[in-house]
Amino acid sequence: MRRADTAKPRLIAVDGVEASAVLAAAKAALAASTPGAPAARGGISRWDASGIFQDLAVADDEAGVPSARTLLLLYAADLAFRLRWQIRPALAEGRTVVVAPYVDTAVAFGRAAGLQAAWLTNLFSFAPRAAERHFVHVREAHATGAKGGFAAFACDRTGGGADSRNSRRLLEETAARLRRADKGRTLRGGRSSPKPLL
Amino acid sequence: MRSPASAALRRARRLARKRFTDPARKRGLLVAFEGPDGSGKTTQRKLFKTWLKSEGYDVVTTKWNSSDLIKPIIKSRKAVRALSPEEFSLLHGADFRHRVEQVILPALWEGKLVIADRFLFTGLARDVARGLDLDWVLKLYQPLLWPDLVFYFAVSPVTSGKRVTATRMPSFYEAGQDITDVDDPVESYQRFITRVIREYESLALIFNFITVDAEQSIGEQHRLIRALFLEGQQRPWSKWNVDAVAEWLALDGARR
Repeated sequence: MRRADTAKPRLIAVDGVEASAVLAAAKAALAASTPGAPAARGGISRWDASGIFQDLAVADDEAGVPSARTLLLLYAADLAFRLRWQIRPALAEGRTVVVAPYVDTAVAFGRAAGLQAAWLTNLFSFAPRAAERHFVHVREAHATGAKGGFAAFACDRTGGGADSRNSRRLLEETAARLRRADKGRTLRGGRSSPKPLL
Repeated sequence: MRSPASAALRRARRLARKRFTDPARKRGLLVAFEGPDGSGKTTQRKLFKTWLKSEGYDVVTTKWNSSDLIKPIIKSRKAVRALSPEEFSLLHGADFRHRVEQVILPALWEGKLVIADRFLFTGLARDVARGLDLDWVLKLYQPLLWPDLVFYFAVSPVTSGKRVTATRMPSFYEAGQDITDVDDPVESYQRFITRVIREYESLALIFNFITVDAEQSIGEQHRLIRALFLEGQQRPWSKWNVDAVAEWLALDGARR
């Protein structure tokens, strides 16, 4: 029987628009990934570990509103930072890392904003494939008051404010894209968790 | 599936094409000045701008890494030497995109002449010199916006090194110390700029830059730039630019 403390390190992705639900699912995924072997747990890599978006949030309005494309370039820069300082070191030490959110949330937002899939694929081609992909869905993203995560931040910025119709529509579209990505993955025989995380 | 954003983009593309092909419209011009540090392009850019204004052009200048939104983010991370080549590339790509949307395209749409002191080719040359893949970096800058003219100020690595170090010590990233592992900034700069110039020379061939011998006198270079500009300004807009303009129009559609 395989010993739990020699489990292979894995990169587990958890994506969704609702930040608090994504974090809860990430914690559940981490606990489920290494039962009985806390030493093998590398932890959770969260959005904006680099502080780029925190800096962006306090920028003067006169600096201009970033477009979806600009925000995605910044998301990729943040992800490169997380890979360098959190994800790859943990994997190299034999630990499992849950990355929440990873690439799917950003791609869903980009597609909802009208950007081409090929551009998004190239942008994130530096990111290694996740061993597992989990999706956290909400029935109506704006009705849940989704906030605090990248999707809500990006939709708010590009849609004209959290309360605007455009922002709400963009957030719903991002959530719908994530549902389709999850469904497509399952239909193609991709790996999914045997039980819902939440 | 077609989203509302895609529909807005299709409408914007039609508007951009119409604008490009309307002979009654005065179109803007985009002129890029490229070259390694110490090639004298900033001196030439200033002379060129003064001359253009005397000729009645409405001129807007944009410099590399200068957006009010992204520049502070890059500056703070450079200060603590915290950037990997990928992060360096992506952040400069974001800064460029923001300036394209906020400065360059609005000015061109209004018929102004935009001088770019460094353009996306700076990103390509430096990032590839840092070991990144040219194709990956080039695609970051899509949808591409092609200048009407690109002046490339060619100098040797030795001249670049002499001019830069004559007045100051190159900074950590300027010297490429993030990838050379050389402690001495001057020695590191010499190695790094050699790679950057090699990439620039490849780009000059691929993208048909106008090469200016930047080891000539300032006056000679300036006269040549004026003459080449007068010849080159009648070129039609590149069809490539339709996508970049359409995306900007779709973003900014309510105001057009």
